[in-house]
Amino acid sequence: MKIKVDKTVMASVALHVLVLGWVMLSFSTKALEMPPEESVAVDVVSSDQLAKVMAGMKTGKKENPKPLVEKVAEAKPVDDAVGKITEKAPVVTETAAPPQPKIEEKPVEKKPDPPKVVEKPKEEPKQVEQKPDPPKVDPIGDTLKKEEKKPPPKPPVQAAKPPEPQKQRIVERHFDQNQIAALLDKRDPSRQATTGDTLNSNAALGTAKGAAADNSATWGSMFQRQVERCWKKPYGGIESQKPEVAFAIRLKRDGTLEGAPVPEGVPATPFLRVYQESALRAIIECQPYKLPAAFYEEWKYFAPVFKEKV
Amino acid sequence: MPFRLNRRQIITGMAALGAVAGGRNAFAQAPKRIPIPEGEFVPLPIAIPNFVAGTPGDAEVGVGVAQVITNNLKRSGLFAPIDQAAHIERITNIDTAPQFQSWKQINAQALVTGRMTRQGDGRLKAEFRLWDVNTNQQLTGQQYFTSPEYWRRIAHIISDQIYERLTGEKGYFDSRVVFVDETGSKERRVKRLALMDQDGANVRYLTRGSDLVLTPRFSPSTQEITYMEFGQGDPRVYLFNVETGQREIVGNFPGMSFSPRFSPDGQRIIMSLQQGGNSNLFVMDLRSKSTTRLTDTPAIDTSPSYSPDGSRICFESDRGGKPQIYVMPATGGGAQRISFGEGSYSTPVWSPRGDYIAFTKQGGGAFAIGIMKTDGSGERILTSGFHNEGPTFSPNGRVVMFFRDPGGSGGPSLYTVDISGRNELRVPTPGFASDPAWSPLLS
Repeated sequence: MKIKVDKTVMASVALHVLVLGWVMLSFSTKALEMPPEESVAVDVVSSDQLAKVMAGMKTGKKENPKPLVEKVAEAKPVDDAVGKITEKAPVVTETAAPPQPKIEEKPVEKKPDPPKVVEKPKEEPKQVEQKPDPPKVDPIGDTLKKEEKKPPPKPPVQAAKPPEPQKQRIVERHFDQNQIAALLDKRDPSRQATTGDTLNSNAALGTAKGAAADNSATWGSMFQRQVERCWKKPYGGIESQKPEVAFAIRLKRDGTLEGAPVPEGVPATPFLRVYQESALRAIIECQPYKLPAAFYEEWKYFAPVFKEKV
Repeated sequence: MPFRLNRRQIITGMAALGAVAGGRNAFAQAPKRIPIPEGEFVPLPIAIPNFVAGTPGDAEVGVGVAQVITNNLKRSGLFAPIDQAAHIERITNIDTAPQFQSWKQINAQALVTGRMTRQGDGRLKAEFRLWDVNTNQQLTGQQYFTSPEYWRRIAHIISDQIYERLTGEKGYFDSRVVFVDETGSKERRVKRLALMDQDGANVRYLTRGSDLVLTPRFSPSTQEITYMEFGQGDPRVYLFNVETGQREIVGNFPGMSFSPRFSPDGQRIIMSLQQGGNSNLFVMDLRSKSTTRLTDTPAIDTSPSYSPDGSRICFESDRGGKPQIYVMPATGGGAQRISFGEGSYSTPVWSPRGDYIAFTKQGGGAFAIGIMKTDGSGERILTSGFHNEGPTFSPNGRVVMFFRDPGGSGGPSLYTVDISGRNELRVPTPGFASDPAWSPLLS
């Protein structure tokens, strides 16, 4: 059914849409940012150390001048490491063709050879140039010339150049079984930035990522064990309907419910309704929940999802 | 050109705006999700105190109704009724909310309160309320009027209401079972057709026992039964009206007719007819009395059973050598074998829910009762032993009843088992009993 719309109404709607749209876009651009994935730190850190590190402080400064320390380690002279790292810088791989200058710097023995190699290509072009000089007009000769000209551009000699120095170096680094120890990297461990002599928690206001510390594996499984003791799951026959119901619940510090759990969505079938009710009964019956007080900020508001084992 | 918007466009535009705003808001506040996947099925603790007597004369029926409901729910295996001796609160008025705290204290999750009142016109009024103890809410409540002698039926109907509200599935308590009652010594066994409530109460005998009766089956209307009787001569298929006691032969065929069963609409009877050494399936329209042949094989085709939508038939046939279960369209045609396990399969029956076919399986010196999906997959043996036979489904397809003969000098008895294979229970009958058939729901 179509209706005529008054121009003023139209203008009003358009203006409202414009204003609302502008408000939504400009006032909430931050919400649109996708939080970057957190990197996975692989380090053996005890749980209390981790907890100290992760615990933020509301009163913290915006920037923390001290480097973040994840692990207590013995004090080490920092200068040393830096020095050694620079010493070892020229790491040479054998497959890659080495840059020319380095070869020239190398000891006396090789020097005689490279010059020769360099001269050779100069000579060849000369020979080619000399040939055109005799003014013989000869078709066979021309074709021969062409043939001769062709090969020189392909630099067989230039290609030969690199192999020579390489061969020399391989000979130089011959493998001596008796001196395997010499091959070991004797540098000190260079990763020192994240260990120090004192732990300091990250007393900043938080990062742009905004992901809170996640200890849900700990308190979540504690909650799960407790609520499951009260859950009298309805028996839905053999053909499982893959039920899954979720609630949003708020807990007080003493582990009791702050209010009635809020079910997510309206159950579509009588069985789902019964399933949801059974879960709701369990949540209510099992309070108070004994969960670690340290993580209260995490478990004061969360969503238990009741579902079938896969 | 004037700018026109139809009403739907305006509404959908507004809705889209709202969804954008609301959706983002919800996303920002999404709480951490904690999966709870390990819950175990546990019978639901339920308290069923005696129903309040509306008049002093109704105390007895109030107690009886509570007992019938308790028994029904307990036998289903899905509920754990709490002993009345443990109850703290005494229910005296069902029109006010109970003291939920006192029911929580005895770990009840559900509470049934009710009242039976005799009316001035002689009828009985039954009221009940089902409470959720943890959320302090009434889940359902109903009232019924009936003749005083039908108080058991009211109790069954209330049981079905409670069962359905707490499990999400239809109940099966308001139903009957027809079976073959067996009395006398093994050599001189008298077999009579008998009818009873599904819990074993109100047994009625339908035949006198002079002739041998077998395989009674309910019609969907629950008023008629079809069965096979050995009279003088060949066994024949009969039709019996439960209300009037009238009986008639179904069709007039030259040979033996047996293993009859109604179609889901009650308009046709499907059965086996013997022809020489073979038997084939025929369907007879009860109104026009016209008979249609469904199979034509040099084998024994028997025990046909319709799917609940009436589109297919499962039956037993030895066309492959040993008796196996086949499925074919209700109009006949290409039959597909669905049973492939070891041993032989017989007496298939389609679940009223349509999801399973129950059967008797013979092999390894034992008879087992099992179910399989209608394509033959997911075979599950529910019980096995010396002799188990004749499965029949409850109206909701959740329970299978069968008869078991322990051998020796005794006789067979009826048993029920959940289709999960748990909660096997004997059904009380006055004597020995075999060949049970479960009726559809009466109401």
